[in-house]
Amino acid sequence: MENNLMTFGSMTAVMKARELLRRDGIRAVTIRTPASLRRGSCGYSLRVPQRYERAAELLNQHNISFVGASTVDDR
Amino acid sequence: MMYFDNGATTYPKPQAVINAVMTAMRGYGANPGRSGHRMSLRAAETVYRCRENLARLFAVDNPENVIFTYNCTTALNTVIKGVLKSGDHAVISSLEHNAVVRPLEAMKEQGVTYSVAEVTEGDDEATIRAFRSQFRKNTKLVICTHASNVFGVRLPIERLAALCRLNGILFCLDAAQTAGVVPISLEDSCIDYLCTAGHKGLYGPMGTGVLVMRSDVMPDSLTQGGTGSFSSELRQPELLPDKYESGTPNLPGIAGLNAGVEFVLSRTPERLDAYEMRLGQRLYDRLSGINAVRLYTARPEADTHVPVISFNIGNMDSEQVAAMLDRHQIAVRAGLHCAPLAHQSYGTQEQGTVRAVMSAFNNKKQIDTLANLVNNFVKLNEKKVAIGDSNVLE
Repeated sequence: MENNLMTFGSMTAVMKARELLRRDGIRAVTIRTPASLRRGSCGYSLRVPQRYERAAELLNQHNISFVGASTVDDR
Repeated sequence: MMYFDNGATTYPKPQAVINAVMTAMRGYGANPGRSGHRMSLRAAETVYRCRENLARLFAVDNPENVIFTYNCTTALNTVIKGVLKSGDHAVISSLEHNAVVRPLEAMKEQGVTYSVAEVTEGDDEATIRAFRSQFRKNTKLVICTHASNVFGVRLPIERLAALCRLNGILFCLDAAQTAGVVPISLEDSCIDYLCTAGHKGLYGPMGTGVLVMRSDVMPDSLTQGGTGSFSSELRQPELLPDKYESGTPNLPGIAGLNAGVEFVLSRTPERLDAYEMRLGQRLYDRLSGINAVRLYTARPEADTHVPVISFNIGNMDSEQVAAMLDRHQIAVRAGLHCAPLAHQSYGTQEQGTVRAVMSAFNNKKQIDTLANLVNNFVKLNEKKVAIGDSNVLE
């Protein structure tokens, strides 16, 4: 299954990433991190249903650390 | 009340600040980012928005380098106590506030030493020489006010920061009196740490302060605790801003601060400074026309001062003058303003000074009222002295 979820170490990183993606026209929804992925996370993740690869590229370019994951619930 | 105590905290606050605090309290007063529900998320968004706006104001790339504290003093303590270790030496200016001096005094017990560099008003070269002459092999940190909270004198901080960088010394700026009034761009400077209050020139509520971190040298954190991140780990996270923001943040304060910063950004520090400087100059000019009034600095100019006017009436106790003004609905601050070093430099440590500081909400009419009152008071006093009435100061 392809990645559609990004987990972060801090809430500030979540907000910064979401803003960055928004400016690039990438939809990112803030959700509570699934329990199985919560370790090392701030408890929030971004669900990126489309253009995940571009989103990951952008965050890497801006040195925003995240861990990619996939979730079955991609509504 | 005509309020000139803006050096202590600005009053009034913009209506948008009051509204933002109320909205946060009434509408989404949850713990920011901690709890997973929508209110918590909205609170976190407000906190982040404020970080972004502060990063914009100070020209910092990364909003996570903006750390919220409870005031400028906490920010300064974080840098001073987090950077300096036993055997280290620091240099400060002769105009520093006790927020800088007292933490350094306390650290003497841990083997930290410090020296004071004399500031020469109107002679930046002499001031820079004074700093350089205090550098030692073990000098690790320079902490320097951007402008004196008593006399409004500005220091050549860009040059001092560059000098420090050249000598491998960290530079911490105390911008308590200048943030929001004097443009500060960290992008173009060698400043490693910027500390400021949120409730002065940024027009936020009291209980807000900011530390902007640009150095790779991360101070130890003063406090450790819950950050909402890496909760399974027992050690404090190292990432910014969480490392320095343990415990529940001051959401209503930060919401208000965000509105205050937006107020400043919309007007620009340049325009605010120009307006307030005109008021400061007007007061200076009016007071300098009164024989009995003592002023301590050159006429304030934008490049060399911020609009902070300190004065006395003859040898009268500054507190008595402030009390008289208070009876006439004018709020100023007298005494030593928590800056005894500055008063030593200007020879006013016994008398203190009466201080009037401008904000965006002062106007010419208020300045004239203050100056007229001082003038009338001086005349009345002279008359009473002439007729031998000891009951002066009405």
